[in-house]
Amino acid sequence: MRGTWLIFQRETKQYFTSPLAYLIAFAFLIITGLIFNNDLTLSVDVKPANPAAVPNFLSFGMIFFAPILTMRLLAEESREGTLELLLTAPVRDNDIVFGKFLSAWFYYSVLLALTFSYQFILISITSPDLGHAISAYIGIWLYGGATIAVGLLFSSLTENQVVAAFLSGTTLLFLWLGNIAGQVITDIEMARIVRTLSLQGHFATSFGQGLVRAEDIVYYAGLMAVMLFITIRIVESHRWR
Amino acid sequence: MIEVRNLTKYYGNFAAVNDVSFDAHSGEIVGLLGPNGAGKTSTMRMLTGFMPPSGGYAKVAGYDTFKESIEVRRRVGYLPENVPVYPDMTVRDYVMFWAKLRRVAKPKQQVDAALERVQLTDRRNTLVRNLSKGLKQRLGLAQALVHNPEVIILDEPTIGIDPQQVIEVRNTVKELGQDHTVLFSTHILAEAEQVCDRILIINNGHIVASGEPAALRQQIQPGVQLYILLGKHTPGKVQQLFKAIEGVKHIEQQGDGYVLDVEPGHDVRADIATQIVEAGYALLEMRPLAMTLEDIFLNIISDKDYA
Repeated sequence: MRGTWLIFQRETKQYFTSPLAYLIAFAFLIITGLIFNNDLTLSVDVKPANPAAVPNFLSFGMIFFAPILTMRLLAEESREGTLELLLTAPVRDNDIVFGKFLSAWFYYSVLLALTFSYQFILISITSPDLGHAISAYIGIWLYGGATIAVGLLFSSLTENQVVAAFLSGTTLLFLWLGNIAGQVITDIEMARIVRTLSLQGHFATSFGQGLVRAEDIVYYAGLMAVMLFITIRIVESHRWR
Repeated sequence: MIEVRNLTKYYGNFAAVNDVSFDAHSGEIVGLLGPNGAGKTSTMRMLTGFMPPSGGYAKVAGYDTFKESIEVRRRVGYLPENVPVYPDMTVRDYVMFWAKLRRVAKPKQQVDAALERVQLTDRRNTLVRNLSKGLKQRLGLAQALVHNPEVIILDEPTIGIDPQQVIEVRNTVKELGQDHTVLFSTHILAEAEQVCDRILIINNGHIVASGEPAALRQQIQPGVQLYILLGKHTPGKVQQLFKAIEGVKHIEQQGDGYVLDVEPGHDVRADIATQIVEAGYALLEMRPLAMTLEDIFLNIISDKDYA
């Protein structure tokens, strides 16, 4: 626990002092701002503004943001050799992985919290369905955690950050595309299975519509657990190479 | 303090460390001397709890490095060969991070003391990325000793830094040896002799010789070699002159100079000097030839059956 906390602290400090993290924050806020603005203009006199516009976009955007946020985490430690020191410090391997995961998820949560400002703007000019917004935010927060866990896994697999980002981006894209594949497959049972496994399938039709379902929470929590478990095993495998 | 028995490490079918046993006591500096790829780093990694042995066991402060790894890691300070650092942290934050991770009771005092010990106090707020190689090496040392560990393991700490810094690092290691057990690897024979209380020579994963530096030199060096450089002279006469001196085994001419193999226990220098001067030649130079690491290996390997 103590190890997790110390690693979390160090990583989080690194996020808030590294230029790259600020560039990511900049891109994140610019794009979500544009999405919000766009939805607002399209809605004038036509329909109520969508309080879940930003989370809906992020369910696609995290395919790109998650790999960039996580690519450094373990790949850099492995390349610089600091992983060897961490593995000879009195901390457990899972402390290292949890600390890093929680730190990336925390940074993402901060970025997400900044987008609450759009909700305040919305509240000040109209009366949005707050339940819908809250549900979408809970969903995209969990969704983000799951994509970050995938990114962390690929960061542990290689010493090269670019390779890590590319592999996790590709994997996330496949997990995301599962939803579309599920829509075009004619065999209904097969389609249901594919869709149930996809990232989007647990967001677009539930959290994104204002629906909080236990099965979706279990899906994202389960994805995180599996990814973190594999990552811990990969970190551990450095000892056996 | 360190107890190693039949330690073995296989990478695939290749035995990097093969049946290595040794002890190191408190307050002792033990040098692992050997060429690259001899198994020094693998041995050290097993002692730090980084990787498990394929066979045998190692104990540090009475704890098994594999079964009680966390206990061992608490008691070991380790500086890997490539000196891993986090470039974006300041010197002080970096040492503080390791201090806290290793559960140091009073981190602030300990960190300041460690920085003082490696003379980095005035650079405490510098970003690690801006340190020179030598300063990074010292930072690595600070990291390894900040939790006041019982055992300090240093993997080639003097590689790639300038001579002044090498001397400083050696002095720090000697100082550390007074109240810690230090295991120190190098491939420089002179360095091992100078710093260590005891040397283990390792080659191809085996310990091929061990002992105190002076004793070890006696044991592996079956005599002394002298290099003698003369002014204008007649080689034939000089060779005869050398042969007449008791204790000279073998004479080899190298240009204007001669290399003499002398039997152990004979000091022939005074004899040689008198005789040469009496014969009317100018004695320009006379010095003992130190054995290099290569010579020692050739010697040991030809003595034993390590191919």
